[in-house]
Amino acid sequence: MKTEEKLFSLNPEDLNACVSCGLCLPYCPTYRVTGDERMSPRGRISLMRMSEHTDFTPTLEWINSMDTCVQCRGCETACPSSVPFGDLISDTKKDLEKVRKLPIMVRSGLFVIARPSLLKVVTFFIASLQKVGLFKNSTYIPSGIPVFGNKFSTHFSSGSPTLFTGCVMNAWTPWVHKAALKTLKFFGVTSGVSGNKVGCCGALHEHSGLRRDFRKMAEKVIEMMPDSGPVLVNSAGCGAILKDYGTLLGTDEAKQFSERVFDIHEWLVINCQMPEKRNIKEKIIVQDPCHLRHVQNSHHYVRDLLNPFVEIVELSDEGLCCGAGGVFSLAQNKLATEIRELKTDSLNAVFEEIGEARIVSANPGCVTHLQAKGFEMKHPLEVLVEHLSEADAQG
Amino acid sequence: MRKRRQKITDPLLEALISALDEERVTDGASARLLYSKDGSVMEGGRAGIVCFPETTEEVAKCVEISKKFDCEFVTRGAGTGLAGGSVPCNDPIVIVTTRMNKILEVDLEKRVAWVQPGVVNLDLSLSLRGTGFHFAPDPSSQQACTIGGNVANNSGGPHCLAYGVTNSHVAAIEVVLPDASVVEFGSSEGEMCGYDLRGVFVGGEGTLGIATRIAVRLTEDPPAVATLLLDFSKITEAAETVSAIIANGILPAALELMDKNVVAAVEPFAKAGYPLDAEAVLIAEVDGLPDGVSKEIEKITQLAKVNGARQVRIATDQEERERIWKGRKSAFGAIAKIKPDYYLHDTVIPRRRLAEVIEKVYDIAEKYELLVMNVFHAGDGNLHPLLVFDARIPGTLEKVRKAGEEIVATSLEAGGVLSGEHGIGLEKQRFMTQQFSKRDLEAQDALRRAFDPDNRSNPHKVLPTGASCGEIDSLKEIPEGVWI
Repeated sequence: MKTEEKLFSLNPEDLNACVSCGLCLPYCPTYRVTGDERMSPRGRISLMRMSEHTDFTPTLEWINSMDTCVQCRGCETACPSSVPFGDLISDTKKDLEKVRKLPIMVRSGLFVIARPSLLKVVTFFIASLQKVGLFKNSTYIPSGIPVFGNKFSTHFSSGSPTLFTGCVMNAWTPWVHKAALKTLKFFGVTSGVSGNKVGCCGALHEHSGLRRDFRKMAEKVIEMMPDSGPVLVNSAGCGAILKDYGTLLGTDEAKQFSERVFDIHEWLVINCQMPEKRNIKEKIIVQDPCHLRHVQNSHHYVRDLLNPFVEIVELSDEGLCCGAGGVFSLAQNKLATEIRELKTDSLNAVFEEIGEARIVSANPGCVTHLQAKGFEMKHPLEVLVEHLSEADAQG
Repeated sequence: MRKRRQKITDPLLEALISALDEERVTDGASARLLYSKDGSVMEGGRAGIVCFPETTEEVAKCVEISKKFDCEFVTRGAGTGLAGGSVPCNDPIVIVTTRMNKILEVDLEKRVAWVQPGVVNLDLSLSLRGTGFHFAPDPSSQQACTIGGNVANNSGGPHCLAYGVTNSHVAAIEVVLPDASVVEFGSSEGEMCGYDLRGVFVGGEGTLGIATRIAVRLTEDPPAVATLLLDFSKITEAAETVSAIIANGILPAALELMDKNVVAAVEPFAKAGYPLDAEAVLIAEVDGLPDGVSKEIEKITQLAKVNGARQVRIATDQEERERIWKGRKSAFGAIAKIKPDYYLHDTVIPRRRLAEVIEKVYDIAEKYELLVMNVFHAGDGNLHPLLVFDARIPGTLEKVRKAGEEIVATSLEAGGVLSGEHGIGLEKQRFMTQQFSKRDLEAQDALRRAFDPDNRSNPHKVLPTGASCGEIDSLKEIPEGVWI
């Protein structure tokens, strides 16, 4: 390797934006569970600064600090100096590829989800094993996935919104997309479906540092999706990255595309007439996905949407991550489980106050991760549809 | 992470690992680098071995080993200190208390909670929500700083104006002394006879031992609270208002002043609605019985108007109050929006001389062509002039150092003291001789040696004796582009 060439190319101004005050520390899930600066945003930034030197060679310890970041971006919400930590860690992960390989499980998983027909086959096998009880409950694959999944075929409706169906949600939890389509129908919205031809958004690839793969997938998404009409997303992780295509790809086409992307709750609240408040019977706990709260800042729309039908109960952990983090729960299972214990404490504290209640979270990763702990998890739209149907039946 | 498989050859490392476990003891280069810094710009030596004990017994074991190997040790909480108190000199063992983060017992009847030192200040108050009690000391870093650190620095905070600093809120402390024995100072049951060793330990900056369990006093939530935001077209008018409020017999719960530069830095983050065109903003909070609160609001408003306030806004709900405070408490962290580095002072001056000293601080900054931002606990005269700069520009650090010295000298001349709440640490050690006589310092040293005869517990700090390792001088030789 030439010495004058840096292994990592991070924006020095972004690195300089951190004054090391430490106000981010408690909002970082990995710092919360370890108490270790090496697993904190401030620590990671200080370590990233080491990579500014041309003779820098990363140690296993250094690499581990970067690999253990969940990329929840809770630190960005907490940072008074608005340090763009997401960009810094994302750029670091991209270059980490030069010095270490991702775990084989992660690599294989990402390979599969990028290929809808392969995903269909893999889904068939996993679902069959689940049916005969040979696939144990997992923190990254939901239970009860359909044997013949991936049924949402691509169709568009000119000028109308398109529901972005992605990869695993399409294959494994089609009921969430069904709920989304029912909701749109209830509000009188005609919509298309992105389906298998469009496929995966590439968020997990980007977060894992596989930028080349991500780029290809993002370009394909933009090419296959219609040129006009809003793109509605019901997964917080996908929504966040689709909104970020413009910045990440840097093309005018990508920027125009990103401008048309909305979290589905956001779009519904802004564009549709909300029903009047009903006689409320149910209490629902809202667990915000990090990429809805800390990245898109759209978490309040979920509340606005559910508000007419249920009593919203908040957690007291100010949006601390649940530990799912896309492939994080697969790559860093021990940390993911420890972080989930913190969320479990927050949830149990609420249960103690209000009794058992269902929990909603607008991201498939969080839902599966918390379901594996035994919580009754739903997507907000699933709960909404139940209430909408009930209201409809009552006239 | 793949575990290091090579044989451990360092007997000290081996001893510490056998006392804790391999996961919680490290001499990795990244850890050593990160545990060499805190929230300040101070640089000292480099952390030697970093340990993460979880219990009093484990802390005692670490200290015992340090004694056996004749090693120095430094205790560290969240590392939000602003005077380099937990910055290691030489290469000591760093004992990190962040994993000691359990609230052990809450006794609302006695109004006492026993906590481990690594409990985050704000977490304690949040966990008490709904009980009608809270932990009163609220340093601006309260969302991150630990109670152990508060004890070590006798930390203050906006609401310490009326409620008193940490010392008033600690009933008892369990301490691992530098000889590894475990003792308890004070009592959670009431006042003890004899010397108040608890009082001596609070503010000891880690030089007297390690607090491993702390009995903190809980304060009842006030029945009514009002937060006022007053804005002025001159900072001196704001300072005069502060003096007038106190002179008129009102002791607000908090009285905080921010200048225009600070307001510009924090408003985009806090969205508190601070007026961006004001030269100074004063936050006044009054609490107590509803009748008293409304009378005080009236009086403060009147005094502010007399002293030239343009507007007086009263927060209408809890959310607005929280946003006003969020801005104030984020001030230091938001500085990077202006310049990448800051050097923060913490002097205290007599309140009646606020206006005059503030003017001088601006003059000093102007003389050295530096930007100074003022945000401080005006009610108790605790100044926090922040010199903000870009250390990458050659010659800047020298100017910062000189301006800092002049600010300190000006404060001392006005009858002030070196530090209000951040502690002496490494940063203000060299100013100690300006405030204390040789005999004073010898007496303090004798006290310290009574606790730590071998001078191994956070050595080279506070007192200007021995080799001072961490002057801001050391910041001169920094590579370009590297934060200090």
